[in-house]
Amino acid sequence: MKTKRIFGIMLLFVGALLWESCDIDKFEPLGENSIEDATPPQANFSFSNGVTVDDFLEYTFANLSTSATTYAWDFGDGNTSTDLDGFNVYPAEGTYTVTLTVSDNNGLVSTTSQTIEVIEPEAPLVPDPLIVNSEFVKLPKSSGSDCACAGWINRDLGDQGESSTASGADVVKFDNNEPDHVYQEFEVVPNADYLIEVSVRHSTTDGTLPSSLELRMLAGSGYEAGYTPVYYTDTAVMPQGNSSTGYWGYRTVAQMEDAANNLTVEVIPNPGNDDYNTYQYSFNAGANNSVALFMRGIGGAASGNYGYNSGNEEIRAAYVTITAVN
Amino acid sequence: MKHLKFIGVLLTFSLLFACNEDFLEPIPENVISSENYFLNDEQIETGVIGIYDAMQGINSTSLNDNRGIQQEFYVTEMRSDNTRTKNQEGEAAQFESYTITPNNGIVENYYRSTYNTIYRANLVLENLGNASQTAAPIFEGEAKFARAYSYFNLVRLFGDVPLVDRVISPLDAETAYTRVSTSTIYDLIVSDLETAAANLENGEYARASKAAAEALLAKVHLTLGNYLEAQTLCENIMGYSYMLEPNFNDVFYNEGNNEIIFAIVFSPGIEADSQDFSAEFMNGVGRTVGVNYVTQDAVAFLDANGGPDRTPFSYRIDPFQPTQNQVVKYLPNGEDGGADGKTFMSDATLSGNDWVVLRYADVLLMHVESIIAGGQDTSVSAALNSFQQIRDRAGLTDTVTNITKQDLLNERRAELAFENQRLFDLLRFGEAQSILSAHATATGGSYSATDLLLPIPQREINLSNGLMQQNPGY
Repeated sequence: MKTKRIFGIMLLFVGALLWESCDIDKFEPLGENSIEDATPPQANFSFSNGVTVDDFLEYTFANLSTSATTYAWDFGDGNTSTDLDGFNVYPAEGTYTVTLTVSDNNGLVSTTSQTIEVIEPEAPLVPDPLIVNSEFVKLPKSSGSDCACAGWINRDLGDQGESSTASGADVVKFDNNEPDHVYQEFEVVPNADYLIEVSVRHSTTDGTLPSSLELRMLAGSGYEAGYTPVYYTDTAVMPQGNSSTGYWGYRTVAQMEDAANNLTVEVIPNPGNDDYNTYQYSFNAGANNSVALFMRGIGGAASGNYGYNSGNEEIRAAYVTITAVN
Repeated sequence: MKHLKFIGVLLTFSLLFACNEDFLEPIPENVISSENYFLNDEQIETGVIGIYDAMQGINSTSLNDNRGIQQEFYVTEMRSDNTRTKNQEGEAAQFESYTITPNNGIVENYYRSTYNTIYRANLVLENLGNASQTAAPIFEGEAKFARAYSYFNLVRLFGDVPLVDRVISPLDAETAYTRVSTSTIYDLIVSDLETAAANLENGEYARASKAAAEALLAKVHLTLGNYLEAQTLCENIMGYSYMLEPNFNDVFYNEGNNEIIFAIVFSPGIEADSQDFSAEFMNGVGRTVGVNYVTQDAVAFLDANGGPDRTPFSYRIDPFQPTQNQVVKYLPNGEDGGADGKTFMSDATLSGNDWVVLRYADVLLMHVESIIAGGQDTSVSAALNSFQQIRDRAGLTDTVTNITKQDLLNERRAELAFENQRLFDLLRFGEAQSILSAHATATGGSYSATDLLLPIPQREINLSNGLMQQNPGY
């Protein structure tokens, strides 16, 4: 019996000791000697949004945080979320600051913010191309005297057009029996449709003289290899297709006449009157962001440096416009 | 004694020659090593064949072997809304539920296989100096095509990855494990493909060609948003002699037809040159019970949008288990498996069906995509013309007058279903997040945005000694 009692007391004593020893805080305060969090959470996210007029207010957020277990999104418009990935529909256009706060199970916190600008997309209108000296006014050239042909010269393809007037206004002239031309490169939107309008006058009324005006839209893909177009605004600095003023993308008549390089070829014969008549043509830019307009007089016997001739009639052009079809 | 002196002198002389480097590190004469190989066109050509061999992968049940293209469907199609495992079991099921772990052996195998192709391409490029002037540009084009193809898959699947553009030594851990930004890797991809397109001619489909390089480059440019470049490349290819196969089913069973621009080719019956994916897509015919099975979502989609001349050649009801649906673009050696769909005359696990990487229909649809050019729709006649050709063959002959971005994404899904294109299309169209999260919600998966990239295999992270960081979310 006695031993039993001693045993019981000892049991109590050991139990009390065990009880005391379990109070770890007394010996080792929490946090002391514990291993530091080697992988603290790191907040990060990316976002994408709708691009149409219908869904531009809808934003999707991809959570790219590391070592995090809880997430708090503040979308900047009063909406919040604790989902892993975020989704928000904004009330209107504006600038919003999106904040993502993440934390891990040790209570470490990381925060990141990004500013988003919600803008309603505009209808993607194709702009009209910029044509320099489209009314064939006598302007300075990079070399030589002022000319209605300023900005429209590529000596690799023909002789320059000449200056003339009609009712006091300047016009460009494709002289009889000469290989006269106009040429200019301009920027377009790939695959967009464009309308060309040109005002042309033949010099006789009977239409028997074999002179026609030919109009070609040349593809930028046909430019000489390695050529990068430059879009000038000032006729006084534009190349004329020779060594002193610089060259264009089309360097030979054969290159210009290659069917694969022609988006459209139009021929304007003598209409039987000597008025300024308006002609309209359309073309699609195809896989080009640059094209060149080329016009020349044809109909005469092939001769001279360029292998073509305008025939026995003078042709004049008052203006050319190119507009995008939207 | 007198002789001893002589012996001493002889020994001293012999030591002089003994230390020649060749003697200490001899090049073996009876075995082939890369040191004494790749010395002429014939030998280098075997190296080029070796590149295609790496793309094929090894027909094996061991994940220790590089499986190449034979397991690509796991990391691409089964992560899209098109396919899943039949029984949602095991490592293979991690893909459809978006619960892939860094230890997933299939992911690791794909990563390792792809870098093996890159290694073999670099090996050929390193030895181009020994090739003849006429052969060198062709070998260079083929090797660079293969390297670009490999990297294009890697960056889309893993994001930033190590850039290995030469043969590196095993000690070069910095190159092997430093993740390089995708934009830098895309620079190499574009320049490799431009070289390949310039150096190669057309006329091959089992090996790289000019059209193959241009088609792949067009897809790279679409991915990067360079639409004009992509359109020009597509129009180049449209000027060659490729054409749509009149019957959709023949695309897959009339091997080497006019539509195929580049395929990874296999031959039936030979273990070294056959594939097993055709068997794996069937019901318990291969090693698995059935993978790359068609989702309910894809079945409903194809029934509604595939067209009468395309849907029946895309999927079928599993004859053995009629609640399930199988891909039928790669039936083992063209056999349908009889009444139960799983009884084959030939050995299905040694199938010879080619894997089509690039075909003309893809180019026509890329042409449309390049004209839409990131916009919402197009009515340009060039685009309508390309689109209509695809629709007409599918038996959907109503005249199309306008193509929206969604129309195009749908048409790509219907035309190229189960050809490992869907995931990349969703990513490129910016639709992956919304469509995959909705798909996962419907099928009980646990998708989040970080699942768009695969994990870097844990083995690589471990070997890198801290050089490599895991993708977020893993």
